[in-house]
Amino acid sequence: MCTVRYSTHVIPFRVSFRPGVSIYEQVVYAAKKAIVSGQLRPGDAFPSVRALSKELKINPNTAHKVVTELTAEGLLEVLPGIGTTVASAPSSTAAERKRLLGGELEHLVVEAKKIGLDLDDVLSAVAEHWNALRDKESKEPARA
Amino acid sequence: MSWPIRTENLSKTFRGVAAITDLNLQVPEKGIYGLIGPSGAGKTTAIRILMNIIRARSGRAEVLGVDSTRLSPRELASIGYVADGQDLPGWMTVEYFLSYLKPFYPTWDDSLAAELLREFDLPRDRKLSHLSHGMRMKAALASSLAYRPRLLILDEPFTGLDPLVRDELIEGILPASEHATILISSHDLNDIESFISHVGYLDRGRLLFSEQMTALAGRFREIEIVLDGGAPSQPAWPAGWMNIERSGDLVRCVDSQFEGGRTLTEIHRVFGEVRHVEARPMPLRAIFVTLAKAARKEA
Repeated sequence: MCTVRYSTHVIPFRVSFRPGVSIYEQVVYAAKKAIVSGQLRPGDAFPSVRALSKELKINPNTAHKVVTELTAEGLLEVLPGIGTTVASAPSSTAAERKRLLGGELEHLVVEAKKIGLDLDDVLSAVAEHWNALRDKESKEPARA
Repeated sequence: MSWPIRTENLSKTFRGVAAITDLNLQVPEKGIYGLIGPSGAGKTTAIRILMNIIRARSGRAEVLGVDSTRLSPRELASIGYVADGQDLPGWMTVEYFLSYLKPFYPTWDDSLAAELLREFDLPRDRKLSHLSHGMRMKAALASSLAYRPRLLILDEPFTGLDPLVRDELIEGILPASEHATILISSHDLNDIESFISHVGYLDRGRLLFSEQMTALAGRFREIEIVLDGGAPSQPAWPAGWMNIERSGDLVRCVDSQFEGGRTLTEIHRVFGEVRHVEARPMPLRAIFVTLAKAARKEA
């Protein structure tokens, strides 16, 4: 026999905490990943601060900072009287594109060259990650 | 900043043996302060002094702005206290226990009490003496949360509990922290590191450090440097470097005052040009071990 306990507190993404990186950064990253991979879609309810804190066993202040950050980045929308939901796909700003394609990509290339990878290795690994996130999205059953 | 708990040079001996020595503990308002330390470090002694269960030999402790030796029912009505192995009236049922406590607490909230019983899966009509250890801890916690205390003091609440019950207790505690200051002691960092905001390490009666969690993780790095041959053989090591190991051109240490650019400048000042520098963040457990070792060396 298996009993299912229905709860409003299920967190729609997984975080397994790693040492050395702040819990705040890890939860923000996990939520972003869930959103870009389509595990969370525009209009979906996002857990409340209290639910995040309880379910992930993190400090309520940390949970609050996570929601504030995701809202500031345009990934979440706070709807008065309804709660926090996932925002419709935000268009990226020029500054964000520049930061990712310039700085962060350069950092990746430096690290790759340091350990002797060639361009093909990196490109195929990027494609693999890209497709992995896209696959998750298309495998999700369509919702009304 | 106000301090719901503040002690000044608190000391206690048992039959001439020091249990805590010159303890200066400060727990900030709305913080979740984790008091970590091995068994016998003095955690329970410190907490029992705060709760006015035992007297200090010297020094003083203030709890909610009042000297701990003068705590009155008025303050106690806004303090929740749960300790491992606490005496509970075993003949009372869970329900009777709560209704017995209610008149002592003007802020008692019946609907919160009912919610806690449900969340903790506590059988209302079972006698406390017939409950398992985990269930008894849940009953004790529920009875301390139901009056929305301003200060919650938890002494080793997770000792001997299975992970499921431990999680249930944490889920009960965290929402309370929105309105309450929490002091929680534990011998196991793993049990509490995900949610505490401040941490203090008590070792053989002395508080080795007390800090905000984010600051602690930020200032510690494991540093590895590959020197470029010409470095001095007896350099003046930068302040804050611990556990320094050197083998030829390879230097390893723990930097306890890491600060990106400043650390790099310091390394260049000491060694001149180097071939390679790497600074790795450290798991909290490794930071604790480093600090405890260093403190024992000094003692």
